[in-house]
Amino acid sequence: MSAATNVLPYAVAAWLFGIGLYGIATSRNFIHLVGCLGVCQSATYVLLLGLGYRWGSIAPIFYDHPPGTPAVDPVMQALVLTDIVVGATLTALLLVLTVQAYKRGGSLNPEKLRPMRAGGKSGQSQGSSQVSDGGRQAS
Amino acid sequence: MSVILPLLFLLTAISGSAVVLVRDPVRQVFAIAINGLVLTILFDALQAPDVALSELAVGSAAVPLLFLVALMAVRTQPPGAES
Amino acid sequence: MSPRIRVALLALSGLILLPCAASVIAGLPAFGSKIALYGARINAITPEARHVANMVSAINFDLRGLDTLGEEFMLLAAITGTVVLLRGHRGEGLTGRAMRRPGRAVIPRSEATVLACRIAGPLTCLFGLYVVLHATVTPGGGFQGGVILASGTLLIYLGEGYSGWRDAIHSHWLDALEGGGALVFALCGLVPMLTGAAFMQNILPLGTLRDLFSGGLMLVENLGVAMAVTGGFTQLFLEFMEETRQAEEPDEPGEESA
Repeated sequence: MSAATNVLPYAVAAWLFGIGLYGIATSRNFIHLVGCLGVCQSATYVLLLGLGYRWGSIAPIFYDHPPGTPAVDPVMQALVLTDIVVGATLTALLLVLTVQAYKRGGSLNPEKLRPMRAGGKSGQSQGSSQVSDGGRQAS
Repeated sequence: MSVILPLLFLLTAISGSAVVLVRDPVRQVFAIAINGLVLTILFDALQAPDVALSELAVGSAAVPLLFLVALMAVRTQPPGAES
Repeated sequence: MSPRIRVALLALSGLILLPCAASVIAGLPAFGSKIALYGARINAITPEARHVANMVSAINFDLRGLDTLGEEFMLLAAITGTVVLLRGHRGEGLTGRAMRRPGRAVIPRSEATVLACRIAGPLTCLFGLYVVLHATVTPGGGFQGGVILASGTLLIYLGEGYSGWRDAIHSHWLDALEGGGALVFALCGLVPMLTGAAFMQNILPLGTLRDLFSGGLMLVENLGVAMAVTGGFTQLFLEFMEETRQAEEPDEPGEESA
């Protein structure tokens, strides 16, 4: 029990990262893929907070307890805290890219998405390719 | 306490796997929300109330909502060439 | 590359990386046995040195404030990218038809929903403000409180409908809030330099431990982060909702597929 508990958080972090990668590799839908990327992200949270934990310590907030009480590592918590909030905005950015890819390519399946080229486009209406040409030249 | 933490870690592994293995994006949104909730409980048990608060607001409210709206945006668009 | 080959490649690389990961895990300290020296020193010194009870806020806003400045601008960049991608071809019309599919029947909101949202919305915003203001005392801070405040505004959408939401929330204010928050944080770094201190040195009076006004410059930085996160997340929600509205206006053909 004890030996297993000693490595369990790190094993869980590795498992989450691995299954997230598996999901990304086998995904049939970009939105599902972004969710799998979120699982990979949560692996880093589990790893960092697992590294910063110590049995029998309090949270690093010395309001009820006097300063000097053994507390867990606050550096890891600060890292994870900002990562969660900034990671959410990055998830939003990826979702927007997904929606844009769907509009231009007509599919959410990574298998069916063709590389974007300046001139032709497979199976889209004429009007849309004209509109999107303007955006491409600007970029 | 020494039993609760390993159980929560295992629960995290299960809920994270569920997010990957649920292939339908609409159902996956619920898996993401549940995963956020499980992570919140785990972080709280790891003595990280700041992180738990942040994960609660982001992981079980904001991010599932963004996924839902993205799904909605994809659905209301006319389907592309051929799906 | 066919999916089968891809999974095989993933399994192969996983098999190669597995022994490496196992040796790294074996080399890590046992879970719960000890914490890093840096964190332990911070826990020991900071309550006296900065008069702050919440160590996580102290690290975010003072000890590693420069890192948070970087995070702040990452947030700004990500949200700017999202808005630039989304706010393309549509106007600023206020039709109340977001999040609705053309074929689906519209169920009117029940009065219970409106009442619950009108009660819960202000309470959520109040709680968000509480979390923001007590950053240096109890768990909380600009990042968490900002997200709570932004989700509080969503209750307006749930209770009052889309047009009511758009009436209450203006995109320009959110831009100002988001950019202004980042500006406040950057100024917190630069203003101490005018007085001859180092970049982001805490020059304000530190206050007393466990008091609401403790931490000096941290309070201002915390406010900047709260402004940026609130503005940024509300902006995200707004632009995402706008995205679902776009396809239902059949005025210009070809517009919605671009």
